[in-house]
Amino acid sequence: MTVPKEGLRTEGLTKSYGGVRAVDAASVTFHHGRINALIGPNGSGKTTFFNCVTGMVKPDAGTVTYHGRDITGRGAHKIAHAGIGRSFQLCRAFPRLTAVENLLVSVRPGSVLRALAPARRKADVDRAMELLTRVGIEHLAEVEARDLSYGQQKLLELAGVLMADPETILLDEPAGGVNPALIERIGALVRELNAEGRTFLIVEHNMDMVMSLSDHVVVFDRGRPIAEGPPDTVRADPLVLAAYLGG
Amino acid sequence: MRSGSETVAKAFGLVALAAFVVAFPSLASDPFVLSVGVVIVSYAVLATAWNFVGGFTGYISLGHAAYSGLGGYATGLLILRAEVNPWLALLLGGLVVAALAVPVGIAALRVRGASFVIVSIALVLVLLLVFQSWESVTGGSDGLRVPRPFGPEVLRPEQHQRFFYLHAVLLAVMLLCWWAIDRSRFGMGLKGIREDEDKARSLGVPTVRYKLAAFVISAFFTALGGGLYALWFGFLDPIFQFSILVGSNMVLMSLLGGVRSLFGPLVGAVVVGYATEFFKAQYGDTQMHLVAMGVLLAVVVLFLPDGVIPAVRGLVARLRPEQASIREVTQEELAEEVRR
Repeated sequence: MTVPKEGLRTEGLTKSYGGVRAVDAASVTFHHGRINALIGPNGSGKTTFFNCVTGMVKPDAGTVTYHGRDITGRGAHKIAHAGIGRSFQLCRAFPRLTAVENLLVSVRPGSVLRALAPARRKADVDRAMELLTRVGIEHLAEVEARDLSYGQQKLLELAGVLMADPETILLDEPAGGVNPALIERIGALVRELNAEGRTFLIVEHNMDMVMSLSDHVVVFDRGRPIAEGPPDTVRADPLVLAAYLGG
Repeated sequence: MRSGSETVAKAFGLVALAAFVVAFPSLASDPFVLSVGVVIVSYAVLATAWNFVGGFTGYISLGHAAYSGLGGYATGLLILRAEVNPWLALLLGGLVVAALAVPVGIAALRVRGASFVIVSIALVLVLLLVFQSWESVTGGSDGLRVPRPFGPEVLRPEQHQRFFYLHAVLLAVMLLCWWAIDRSRFGMGLKGIREDEDKARSLGVPTVRYKLAAFVISAFFTALGGGLYALWFGFLDPIFQFSILVGSNMVLMSLLGGVRSLFGPLVGAVVVGYATEFFKAQYGDTQMHLVAMGVLLAVVVLFLPDGVIPAVRGLVARLRPEQASIREVTQEELAEEVRR
């Protein structure tokens, strides 16, 4: 294996809500091309960290860099245009849009003319159908997302993230509330997409999934990383055990 | 995907609607009916204009009277104080309001949901006070008499007829714009904002710019609607122009017809406009027509929460045989399935 390239990196990232430091001077590097996992007890700041990185909230201090470029505090859409896609913790599909429309919302940077072009252009619809086929719900393309099952919505959300062709994908609890067969399927998809060269950063509570899927695990506690390394090393780390068991 | 018969039915409906609009003035039995017709298209214009922001982005503005009122006053004042040609004044009025909507939109669209509703009302109340107090320019509470754009040789029924068509043309232009946006990438982004703004951002939709664009387009058309109404009615009073009721009427009509449908606000305007006149005729000078109107709206909200158009569409879909929940599978598809 070649030396991993530095992709996404944070330096002293901090975000407080009231008196609570949800993310507390977190400095983490996620290597490019890998499947990185971010784990930690509930309330350890994983989702807030995600939101700071993807521009959903502005950090109070610290920096986020991507391939060495400073993207701290940029608008969420600009970070998406930089090639970072994300999913949300509780699955969020656009409820009253059809599955294929859910994918067509995805906007790549472009001129006003581009924005005024029809949304259902053949090339875009073809690509959307291809992605729906890839996640296995192409037969539901014209069904509104609110009429899909939870699992199907999860797959739809993943397809939606892929529509923008991001090179780095952040998944917030992809296995949450999903049956074991679907967890397998999502895991396989992640592996496939990683083999194509996409980097993953996954927040997950399902330890089986984390341990089997990831190359690199970062453990958060109280808003900052307390350990990182390959899954087996991290699992044996006394600090990690203490954090999970309430030390 | 869409079937051919549906396209034919749609085209037929559109032609029938256009034919009815063209024929209406000659069908109207007297000038009063014709004037009610003008009021209804004017409602339809305002509601459709409102729906550019309400329907696409889901931001419910209760304060759109600010833009119709400003459009009316801008048109009137340009004619009276600057002696601009009435039609040019109408267009300039729309552009002035659109320009004003940029800073207002930047400020107001920062907040979502109920907070946006409250913020949207604020501007109407401010404008009401300004236009009542600034008598030297606006005429204050005495109102402003807007000169008619047609000469004295054009009699009242003829006036009604011309304004009916003018409103109808403006409505047609707006519907065309709404349709074009609805099927564009811009429109898809706006709908993403309506459904889940944060998710739309994460998918690369420049939400601030998109919302603002929709807001400005909406304010522009609302101002044109207000200006055209001012030219027809010939008199502006701040208390009626900058009224929360005018704005909430736009919202009610749109919700009633269906905010996600092209013709929703138009249908809502026809229902509300017709019902208002009908109840007024039934109950004469009493306030009973307001009660009846309230009951009608309550019934619609209870039984057709998405509006009239989606309800009718759902009914049609249910009655159609091929719309079964089980998909028909061709032999080729089966073979393909087996090969997998």
